[in-house]
Amino acid sequence: MNDRPKLSVIVPFFNEEESIRPLYLAIVRAVEPLGVSFEMVFVDDGSRDDTVRVATELAATDGRVRVVKFRRNYGQTAAMAAGIEYATGEILITMDGDLQNDPADIEFFLAKMAEGYDIVVGWRFNRQDKLVSRKIPSRIANRLIGKVTGVPINDNGCSLKAYRASLIKEIPLYSEMHRFIPAMASIAGPRIAEIKVRHHARQFGKSKYGLSRVYKVLLDLLVIKTVASFTSRPLIWFVLLSLPLVVVGTSTLGWSIYIAVAEHQNLPLPVAGTGLIFLTSALILISGGAFGELVYKTGDMREHHFARLTARLQGRHQGGTRG
Amino acid sequence: MSQKDSRVELSVIIPVGDRHSDAGALFADYQEGLGKLGMRHEVIFVLDGPQEDFAAGLQPIMHDNGNMTVVALTRSFGEATALMAGFEQASGELILTLPAYFQIRGAEIPKLVDAMELGDLAVARRWPRAGGRLELLRRNAFHGLIAWITGLRFRDLGCGARVMRRRVLEEVSLYGDQHRFLALLADRQGFRVREIDVAQSAQDRFTGRYRTREYVHRALDIFTVFFLVRFTKKPLRFFGMVGATTFGIGAAFLLYLVIDRLFFGEGLAGRPALLLSSLLVVLGLQLFALGLLGELIIFTHAKNIKDYQVDKVIQFPEMVPGNRIGQRHDTAHAP
Repeated sequence: MNDRPKLSVIVPFFNEEESIRPLYLAIVRAVEPLGVSFEMVFVDDGSRDDTVRVATELAATDGRVRVVKFRRNYGQTAAMAAGIEYATGEILITMDGDLQNDPADIEFFLAKMAEGYDIVVGWRFNRQDKLVSRKIPSRIANRLIGKVTGVPINDNGCSLKAYRASLIKEIPLYSEMHRFIPAMASIAGPRIAEIKVRHHARQFGKSKYGLSRVYKVLLDLLVIKTVASFTSRPLIWFVLLSLPLVVVGTSTLGWSIYIAVAEHQNLPLPVAGTGLIFLTSALILISGGAFGELVYKTGDMREHHFARLTARLQGRHQGGTRG
Repeated sequence: MSQKDSRVELSVIIPVGDRHSDAGALFADYQEGLGKLGMRHEVIFVLDGPQEDFAAGLQPIMHDNGNMTVVALTRSFGEATALMAGFEQASGELILTLPAYFQIRGAEIPKLVDAMELGDLAVARRWPRAGGRLELLRRNAFHGLIAWITGLRFRDLGCGARVMRRRVLEEVSLYGDQHRFLALLADRQGFRVREIDVAQSAQDRFTGRYRTREYVHRALDIFTVFFLVRFTKKPLRFFGMVGATTFGIGAAFLLYLVIDRLFFGEGLAGRPALLLSSLLVVLGLQLFALGLLGELIIFTHAKNIKDYQVDKVIQFPEMVPGNRIGQRHDTAHAP
């Protein structure tokens, strides 16, 4: 297995012609002294500037560089997913292409991974961004993400993360999930550690994200919560969702019947109808859960598969090095 | 008939639906343009259902020309399916689809094929275009709506003349009536799509009147595109938005009724508005749940869904051997 590099550094680029060469040099300078075999996977996310040309030049002079060129812009999640797919290392480190992450931190990630963690995430504790538009929303979002997913991480948005390849290659990444990779990976129950990293202000180009993503983040969060709790029991999840409806429906209907019986009036139709609507809706929701079971059965996601993934990993740590 | 020339450069696919012109005249017109191309080509007619008159007209052509294939479908499956059936028989690197009735002048075909040097798909736009005011308005409304929904401005999606690289049809699978949206779907897959002005055939006259059914179909088409292009991978974005709005309106209404009851003593029993507002709340919840189910479907099939298309992987493997993906098999043999 000595052909396979120990470490893959994955960097997505989108219109970063000025950053790519300094970043390449910084990575080489940071990783070479560590004495591990490594490769770099540069993913070009449909850049319109000279990013691809510069990257190709780098690949021509350094065989450790692999450039994956997208046909057009697909977004950061897709770029990360492609980088993970095309990386061959045992440990994968992802980082931003805009020089805001410092490759000198890679060393600490490797040390942490050596302790047996499956995922190590970076925390930009002295973040160099605008307070109101970037830092405060992100703090609220991180608190919320931690609460909902049960994976308390201070800084989900930091791209600098390390993963054990055998685990992360099995985790589905799509839509705009790159912010939630640790949460998504939590379906396999990995051991997650967090370390503080340096963060630099942007030197070149301008930031590509704004406040508008809040709505999307909220919905994505709900999706992750759903699929993560779903993987085993869609029916139970949907029954839980429908419980409030059952309570409201039953009490409303009961009240209308009470009025009719106890006070000898006509059945108040709007009230009784409302109760029936809620009860029917609860029934439909529960049927939806049953439908979800069907979907899950026909799909190719299996919880025991994920369970096996981490189980094998832990076995390897305890067993020490093989061969 | 089925013998394949492996050196065919261009495969011409002509799906023949209910609307078609005389086979002989049409083929002669196209042959003029194809001859000017100077490329080795094959012609594939796909009969979408038993188009007996057209099939009869094809017999003398088949007799006189080599390298022709006729695929006869047993019933009418729709133009997009016919195209895919023809594509299965095609061996050329370039695929040219042509309508079975006069839309463009055959002599204009080279113009279309030449445009391929800079892209993956070139669709024809009939220009200058004949037709009345009403038809122009109808056309503009349709394409305006599509542009608004998808952000892509095309001006003649109804034109059946398109030329594309093989891999476009390999990656974009079409069915039903989706041939009209090939340009949109291909763009979404990351292909470079261009629209080329070609001269309209003098015989391209639609004399009939569109029936209501046609309008309903187009409207549904637009809805399909809307969904395909924007939400197939994020169902909750769509259902969540609609569901949350419905839920919000219902909940606000319900809150108002409850406050009215508690503080102003307005009885709930006599208010049908209670029914309406709770219906809205429930509907919103159902839509939301539908979105969640959609997300579950996406999640469980995520392995088969690729969010991106890789153009190429650039690496110079001679520098460091063994760093390539393909070599993982080799390492398996290592002791």
